[in-house]
Amino acid sequence: MFKTRRNFLKKSALVAASTALSQSLIMEAFAADPLKIWTIGVAKVTKTWDEMGKQAGVPLTYSAKSGSADQAIQKFFVGDGQKLYDAITDNGGGQEDAMSDNGAIVPIDTSKIKNWKNLLPRYNEGNAGANTIRNKKGEIVGVPYISNADSMAYNKTKVGGDINTWDALFDSQFKGYAAMQNDSGPTLTTTAIYLKESGKQDIVNPSDMSKSEVKGVCEFLIGMKKKGQFRTFWDGFGNGVDLLASEEVLVSSCWEPIAVIAAKKGADIHYGTMKEGHQTWNNVWMLTKGGKQRGQEANFYKLMDMYLSPWFGARTLSNLGFTPQMTGVNEYVNANPDTFDAKAKKTIAARLVGKEARMAVKGNSWQNLYPKEMRAYQDWWSKVQAA
Amino acid sequence: MVVFFVIPLLLTVVWSVFERTMFWMEPGFTLFSYENFFFSARLENFVVSMLHSSVSVFFSFLIGFPIAVFIRRRVAKIAQHRVMLLFILPFMVSEIIRIFALRPILSRNGLINNFLMDFNFIDSPISAFVFTPTGVVIGEIVSFLPFMIFSTFLALEAIPNYVFEVCADLGVNRRRMFKDILLPLAAPGLFAGGVFIFVNGIGIALIPTILGGPGSVNAGLIATQAIIALDFPLAMAVSAIMMFTLMGLLFIGHKLFNLTKLLEPIS
Repeated sequence: MFKTRRNFLKKSALVAASTALSQSLIMEAFAADPLKIWTIGVAKVTKTWDEMGKQAGVPLTYSAKSGSADQAIQKFFVGDGQKLYDAITDNGGGQEDAMSDNGAIVPIDTSKIKNWKNLLPRYNEGNAGANTIRNKKGEIVGVPYISNADSMAYNKTKVGGDINTWDALFDSQFKGYAAMQNDSGPTLTTTAIYLKESGKQDIVNPSDMSKSEVKGVCEFLIGMKKKGQFRTFWDGFGNGVDLLASEEVLVSSCWEPIAVIAAKKGADIHYGTMKEGHQTWNNVWMLTKGGKQRGQEANFYKLMDMYLSPWFGARTLSNLGFTPQMTGVNEYVNANPDTFDAKAKKTIAARLVGKEARMAVKGNSWQNLYPKEMRAYQDWWSKVQAA
Repeated sequence: MVVFFVIPLLLTVVWSVFERTMFWMEPGFTLFSYENFFFSARLENFVVSMLHSSVSVFFSFLIGFPIAVFIRRRVAKIAQHRVMLLFILPFMVSEIIRIFALRPILSRNGLINNFLMDFNFIDSPISAFVFTPTGVVIGEIVSFLPFMIFSTFLALEAIPNYVFEVCADLGVNRRRMFKDILLPLAAPGLFAGGVFIFVNGIGIALIPTILGGPGSVNAGLIATQAIIALDFPLAMAVSAIMMFTLMGLLFIGHKLFNLTKLLEPIS
């Protein structure tokens, strides 16, 4: 068939070129499809996902996802997630490792994200948040877009001033008026931070406790529960808001947006900085293996450019109180007085100051979705519930 | 029956004895999930949620039975089914909204406490209406009472009118009418309604989540929490235990009350 080596090389080159061309045409044809995203509602800062897509320059097909880590695990490890979604969000701090280890997501080429340079330095190698966006090989697999240091919301008028210690949550003067989250992860970590930093219990790592440390923390909570300290353990955003807004509870460990919305409803709710520390966390975008195979990499990077722009950062901070993951937010807000009036500017500046103060507390501990003694966490949490 | 009941039940039992892996499960045989359930606080939580549901069934009977009797005996035959339809109306509102709507009524600053305080019945708000076991029971009654009314009415509807006429002719008093006529003949309906309420009470996670106290759970929530913690065999074991509990109840009920009577044509 190939009479000479030259002919062979020519034909091979032709085949290679046509294959490459057809592949790139196929990729482009795929890329013309909308980017199929599976994410939580708070990833949207405009009225519609169409507007988010227009801002990014990428058509989007949105599917709603809960914040619960098990959902992505089920969908991608035993379900049809790869077929359905090109890009997804989930918590950093364990989930990115799980997804990457199981081949559900692919490494990200940060050189293709123009705004990567804006990313906060805490994600640089060696810094506190570095592991939350990298897999175990050290490859970047997540793009953080929101984060926070979860703290305590309190009703300033009713409690008679500002609060800067978790002591208040366990103080008998607020007996029956305190609440925590009905989730073993954040509640045990927050309590562990308090017990460790106040010298009440020896704990090495509040985010990855040993069996005996988990037992100590849960026994403390059981004691508090039996004394009637807690009105309830809240579950779900609306539930958390209602408890504070209705003044059913006066102090509550919660997400900052809960405090923001409860305050908008009229109660004098503030979100403090706790001297002992906070559980810090982030939520990251990930590119799925299926998304890459369908040629959606370029669209993904365009979308990430939007998520790392101060345009998004200013809005997520202003609307819901999440921490922007990029520098330049204040400058952006100052340069856009039509969008952010004096009141909004003041709110944004105050929130940024509060966040920096919370992030700087020494006792902070990053969220860990899969602690080594997960079974002990579960078993002891059921004892807290039964108490 | 095989596709929608037997196969899912068998799969649930089979998966419950699989080995747990970090993110899923793998074939094997271990009773660890059952051990994990029966020798932990989960059993206590399960029993407490059954207790709450039993209380809800009892109060639903106290409220629902007279309503069903009233409709059967005092409402004109032509209007009875229309009146029953009224009890379906609440189901047209999302369950989460129905349950959440109880909070502004039952909470410390809620309607009931405000009313009681405004009229000087109490000095300080009563905390026990919500975020307590009482709150869970109230939520279950409000949510599931129609089940008791429907099934009891269905059983009463099967009683021919002449039974009541004969009783009246013989001068049977109300107490004997209740004890010897209505209660035995309505028993299959009452039992069916009771099972509906009981099963929903232990299975639907919304009510303890919204109206329960700190860490309030039922069997449904125990399974949900196991799934969240990626302990799928445990979630399957909890589901299997729930199903066997239900099947046991139905078996006892059928032996005692012959539940097929409910489905017999009205003579």
